[in-house]
Amino acid sequence: MRCNYACGSHDSLSRRSFLGGTAAGALSMLGFQGMTQATAAKQLAAQQKQVVVFWLSGGVSQLETWDPKPGTETGGPFLSIPTSAPGVHISELLPYTAQQMHHLALVRGINTKENNHAKGAYIMQTGRKEQPGFAFPYLGSTFSHHLAPPNSPLPGYISVGAGGSSAESTFLGPRHAPLVLSGGRAPNNLGRHDALSEERDLLRRKLRSQVSQRFEQKRKTAHTEVYNESFDQAAALMSRSDIFDFSKFSDKDLERYGKHDFGRHCLMARQLIEKGVTFVKVGHTNYDTHSENFNFHIEQLGEFDRPFATFISDLYDRGLLEHTLIICMCEFGRTPRINSRIGRDHWGSAWSIALGGAGIKGGAVSGKTNETGTKVIDREVNGGHLFHTYYQAVGLDSTEEFYPNGQPIAKADPKTEPIKEILA
Amino acid sequence: MFRPNMRVYVSLLIVFSCPTLVPHLVCANSATKADEPLVASKPTLPVVRRISSLIDEQIRKGTKDYAKLASPVCSDAEFVRRVYLDLTGRIPTVTQTRAFLDDSHPDKRATLVDQLLESPEYARHISQRLDVMLMERLRKKYINVTLWEEYLRDAVAENKHLDQLVREILAADGSGKGQQAEARFYLARDGDVNELTRDISRIFLGADLTCAQCHDHPEVADWKQDHYYGISAFLVRSFVFTDKKKKQTVFAEKAEGEVKFESVFEVRDKTSKGPETTLPVVFNGPKVDEPAFKKGEEYKVKPAKDVRPIPKYSRRAQLGDALTSSQNRRFARTMANRLWAMVMGRGIVHPLDADHSDNPPSHPELLELLTDEFTASGYDLKWYLRELVLSKTYQRSSSNELFASKSDQELSDAQFAHAILKPLTPEQFSRSVLEATGQAEVYRQSLKDKLSEAALRKNLVGYERQFVSLFGGLPGEPVEGFETTADQILYLSNNGSIQGILSPRSGNTADRVLKIPADQPEQIAEELYLSVLSRRPDATETQEVAELLAGKTGTARNDMVIDLVWALMMSSEFRFNH
Repeated sequence: MRCNYACGSHDSLSRRSFLGGTAAGALSMLGFQGMTQATAAKQLAAQQKQVVVFWLSGGVSQLETWDPKPGTETGGPFLSIPTSAPGVHISELLPYTAQQMHHLALVRGINTKENNHAKGAYIMQTGRKEQPGFAFPYLGSTFSHHLAPPNSPLPGYISVGAGGSSAESTFLGPRHAPLVLSGGRAPNNLGRHDALSEERDLLRRKLRSQVSQRFEQKRKTAHTEVYNESFDQAAALMSRSDIFDFSKFSDKDLERYGKHDFGRHCLMARQLIEKGVTFVKVGHTNYDTHSENFNFHIEQLGEFDRPFATFISDLYDRGLLEHTLIICMCEFGRTPRINSRIGRDHWGSAWSIALGGAGIKGGAVSGKTNETGTKVIDREVNGGHLFHTYYQAVGLDSTEEFYPNGQPIAKADPKTEPIKEILA
Repeated sequence: MFRPNMRVYVSLLIVFSCPTLVPHLVCANSATKADEPLVASKPTLPVVRRISSLIDEQIRKGTKDYAKLASPVCSDAEFVRRVYLDLTGRIPTVTQTRAFLDDSHPDKRATLVDQLLESPEYARHISQRLDVMLMERLRKKYINVTLWEEYLRDAVAENKHLDQLVREILAADGSGKGQQAEARFYLARDGDVNELTRDISRIFLGADLTCAQCHDHPEVADWKQDHYYGISAFLVRSFVFTDKKKKQTVFAEKAEGEVKFESVFEVRDKTSKGPETTLPVVFNGPKVDEPAFKKGEEYKVKPAKDVRPIPKYSRRAQLGDALTSSQNRRFARTMANRLWAMVMGRGIVHPLDADHSDNPPSHPELLELLTDEFTASGYDLKWYLRELVLSKTYQRSSSNELFASKSDQELSDAQFAHAILKPLTPEQFSRSVLEATGQAEVYRQSLKDKLSEAALRKNLVGYERQFVSLFGGLPGEPVEGFETTADQILYLSNNGSIQGILSPRSGNTADRVLKIPADQPEQIAEELYLSVLSRRPDATETQEVAELLAGKTGTARNDMVIDLVWALMMSSEFRFNH
């Protein structure tokens, strides 16, 4: 994501007032090492709401997932199957997910009017249409900001196999930018160099911060602040490197989740949620099926279905689902019309997402499309409605405002409201 | 006030004042020549026209109360670091910094600029900046990247006119022996017409037309779907062709093919019954007419299986000329603005690819002046950069006492009343780390007689690659502005290769500092600060260093020095070109 129009370089002051204080500095960050991690994790588990987004990049077909239309000209070859939620049918490509349907709600009336990958992704992850002059933070950064305990040594937003850019946090600052575990690996260089003692490491960072502060006295910029904060973030990561130890998954778990990248990424996400990370994004890709839509969906959903369902069931078994909101989404759906290459193209006009867990009424369905899936005929919603819903599901008031640059910016589009019928 | 005919007057003035410059150039050079093998000895830049003062004039006029708001002209220390970074891509060596700070000649800034512009490091650095601008860190595809890099470096070294360079790149199909490198622009993008249309408009025309592919731009009234397809029309007949016998991939072309477009929103023209088409055209310029051939006579080499067709008339061959033609002012304007942003830290039109009437330039007259002058110079890169860095605007301090009291609006970067903090590019950062630790110096000493820019670069390029992969962003989406991630900081903090070059070894910074007797803390602090931050420490900083080292011997002293180098090198002061 490129830096947007709004990346002014002197927005630091207002951001500072927005954050309610300057970066506390490396030393205060390290203070949290004293807190026992087990206690911290328990507290988090008891009180904190968490969020997991499954991002199916490229745009999964709503017809092959949440809103099947078997037997119609647009429906494709697959059947729909009953689920654990009475009356709710989904595509036969998701048999495991169907068994978890009582935990999930469907929104079938989405119309984002956007068929461009980047712009669609922007709408779905910020709740707004892209607009020049202002860059909204992505939901990972937003929820990290709202839900992560202010002094937590954990990163608030971790992206597993889903990419991400430090620009996503915009005015919320780098503390809420995604930590990208590229290739699903723990960050490199996480351990202190052998030549350094903890004491030396601490001292040299303190010195670094002093030199920087002297320099910045008469040079006020957001960039230097961002740079300083990233040192704090790195220190925090080093102090909680345990959350990235992914070596201890049992053979049984690896088997249950499937021995492929996505299965492993779901397991990693489970661990990150267990350890108290506020927001985790897991990616699964290759849904941009302009040709051979059906073969691709057999393959991709075949890989997706079981680990996704297992993840939900595991979170439920561990009592984590109650306070973890799960959202399964992408940038848009796919055209009902099947093209000459047996593909489906980009379609933002009538499509679906699934969500579940914290604050969501399991088994609920909102919205309806017509018989061939070309149009929303009941309860049309867009990115704004979805954002109100996410906020309210985790217990936040979605009608409040942000104050970047001193101007009030609504958290979610004020022209829209939450999808109450799926809220618990 | 400053109409083009002003140029004549200004040129005369410069020609007359020129002789006074010459003796300084010579004597300053002879003083530094012996220890500066990387810097050419005798700048031979013709001083044609000076526009630096006109730049300052326009900037001053652009802001009410400019005199009150503007930062003072920067110190020599700020200048020497800034200009080395901007023109050679690295901080100066400790020797170069000392020599410059101790030089008392009033014209030493201009002298230094001329030396740097003639250095091989200038060619390397500027060509790298052009590379990132043109290729956005796209990976290798079909064309050898080193070949392309060397082509750009040679072009900058010989100061090839920028319009000429662009024409060569856009004319290249990769088939000729001498011009395979140039074809990288097309081939790395796999010849994709939409990707090329988008990138050509963005990079060369300051217009991100992405949204105009499917309909007139929804937010920018100036940008129409016709503009998008006008550019596409040059390229629509081209395709990537692999010659199996020669094992060579080229950008080939057919004799037929038109762009077809209609708005996804509405019928553009009520009378039209289907998709429209257009001849090749660059924005609002003249449409490029083309010869008609009888059917069957369009080709020099007809298309056939495994044969590369060659049409008698090439649409693509017209693109470079149309783009750089005097009838297309957007090209000169975009280039003048891009180079300005590279040096000043922000475009006069900003963002750089949003040049349209709803996003006016901060200093319209200045941009007109720069466009005129850059064109008149024949797109002379060296002349243009020289004028920019010799302006007072460039030489303002980044520090401003008013930052604490003025609002963001009053001290906006767009006023150019202070120097803007520019994050070091990955290449600048890597080279500067190697200079600050003295690792580059270690290599220089080991190369001895064989020392050249190219030989030194061979030793350093491995480090550069690590920095670029971490700091450079994704291919096709390079970092713009400033992004900093925990990954980068973890690398700088914990990676063995950084820790490794900090340790004392003969001739590097830690080694030099440790050799200064412990009872001379002022010298120690000075060596440290000059090596890493290219300036002398103030009293507080000297005292801090003295206290940290007081009573320390052996390993403890060793470690302290290493940690000081690291701490200074990781500071904001080092991370930004200020």
